[in-house]
Amino acid sequence: MKFFISLLRIIKSGVMNLRRNIWLAAASTLIMTITLIILSVMTLLFIITSYSVQSIQERVDISTYFKSDVSEARILVIRDELQGDSRIASVNYVSSAEARQNFEENNRDDQLIIDSLNELTDNPFPSTLQIKANNLEDYPAIANMLEESSYRDLIQEINFEDNRIIIERLNSLLTFIITFGLILMVVFCLIAILVIFNTIALTIYNRREEVEIMRLVGATNWYIRGPFLVEALTYSVIAAIITSALILPIYFQMLPKISNYLTPGANIFSGDIKIFLGVIVVQLIIAFILSAISSLLAMRKYLRI
Amino acid sequence: MIEFKKVTKYYNNHKALNNINLHVKQGEFISLVGMSGAGKSTMLKLLVGEEQLDDGSILIDDIDMTKIRKSDLPYLRRKIGVVFQDIKLLPKRTAFENVAFAMEVSGHTKEQINKDVPRILELVGLTHKTHNFPHEMSGGEKQRVAIARSLAHRPVLLLADEPTGNLDEINAAEVIDLLLKINELGTTVLLATHASDLVNKIKKRVITIEGGQITMEQEKGKYKL
Repeated sequence: MKFFISLLRIIKSGVMNLRRNIWLAAASTLIMTITLIILSVMTLLFIITSYSVQSIQERVDISTYFKSDVSEARILVIRDELQGDSRIASVNYVSSAEARQNFEENNRDDQLIIDSLNELTDNPFPSTLQIKANNLEDYPAIANMLEESSYRDLIQEINFEDNRIIIERLNSLLTFIITFGLILMVVFCLIAILVIFNTIALTIYNRREEVEIMRLVGATNWYIRGPFLVEALTYSVIAAIITSALILPIYFQMLPKISNYLTPGANIFSGDIKIFLGVIVVQLIIAFILSAISSLLAMRKYLRI
Repeated sequence: MIEFKKVTKYYNNHKALNNINLHVKQGEFISLVGMSGAGKSTMLKLLVGEEQLDDGSILIDDIDMTKIRKSDLPYLRRKIGVVFQDIKLLPKRTAFENVAFAMEVSGHTKEQINKDVPRILELVGLTHKTHNFPHEMSGGEKQRVAIARSLAHRPVLLLADEPTGNLDEINAAEVIDLLLKINELGTTVLLATHASDLVNKIKKRVITIEGGQITMEQEKGKYKL
């Protein structure tokens, strides 16, 4: 009971500190908000870029088109042979009939294409082996191996769309975001700590009489320190709420569009509420840590207990 | 109740207290007299743990001040009321709120505070000033609010450090009368002062300090410096 009465009084006193210095409170909240926005934007950029890299990686494969006179049995032998290769994750056989069916399905709304396909007497689609590698780096070697294989004559075309350049670019963008983001974060965290440190130091100065009397009449250490910590933590809570409200539309509206732009046609990133909540929790934790550090430093320096 | 044993205290290289031995019994009223800088305030500060002694020991009941943990000091301070020359009231709070402040700190409920504060203000004779701010009161009244605040935790010991220092004769006499009344109600009082005529009127035990040493002890004494 006593504990809760004291806790309530500490929180009340902390909020009162904040209201007495409303402009300083505003400055502290602002700098904390900016820090959190930078953190959130960097995190979201990181998420969307790594998501793009992943979805591009999933799309990379080597399509081996066989000449129309090669029998299915021969192709399946080659498939089994390829599956024995440790670099290869999977080999998918698509027969010419299946290929035609897939094509018709994908274009069923386009009557012109279907009509012109029906004009043909032969099936124009070759039988295909779609090869996926375990590692991105292995694709050129696998493509090379196919080129030099004994059954090269049976193959009409080896189609290997080299997406590695795009992936490399995205990866270097990812590295840039991490490096630049970390530097920016460190700088703003330091600024936030300094600003909140000064705000709390000033509050301590303004309340020095009260603190002295508190000590005199037997206030415990945490009863004296509590309000200053509450004040600093309040800045982080307000900043986290503002930041969340600002990144909410970015996350659910803009990110899917950016995702579509980066990797058109791929699995489009559609805002996952779990990731969003995760971002909010992380920023709240970081804000709490920053507030706690700066207020504890200020108390250590200026508050005589 | 209080036992100073060979207490020595230095401020840098200056010896503020030199080998002080003093025994205070429960319910006593003691005047500590001496000039400014004689060491009176230092003795009071040692009693509330505001300063640490360098040699000797101080016992308050069975609490050894040389061994008390820092985290236990607040609880000790609730058993000891303190009053100062510069009063130290919160200017933006009324008499009631200033006294209530002390009770809030130790987690008393609002009901207890609303019940106790008027009683304490009545004891110090300030019921009519309950809702006045410090700047609306005379020096003596302010000091009586400060005394009321120091009584909020029903202390067993009241330390008054030059409580009449800034007051005129009439107000000073009022404050001393109040301290005597509190003493009669059972609280041990230690009054540090250099106001000789007040001490002469009190007619209780007087301890004279000079240069950090006790130079005279009298029952029902007079100020002899």
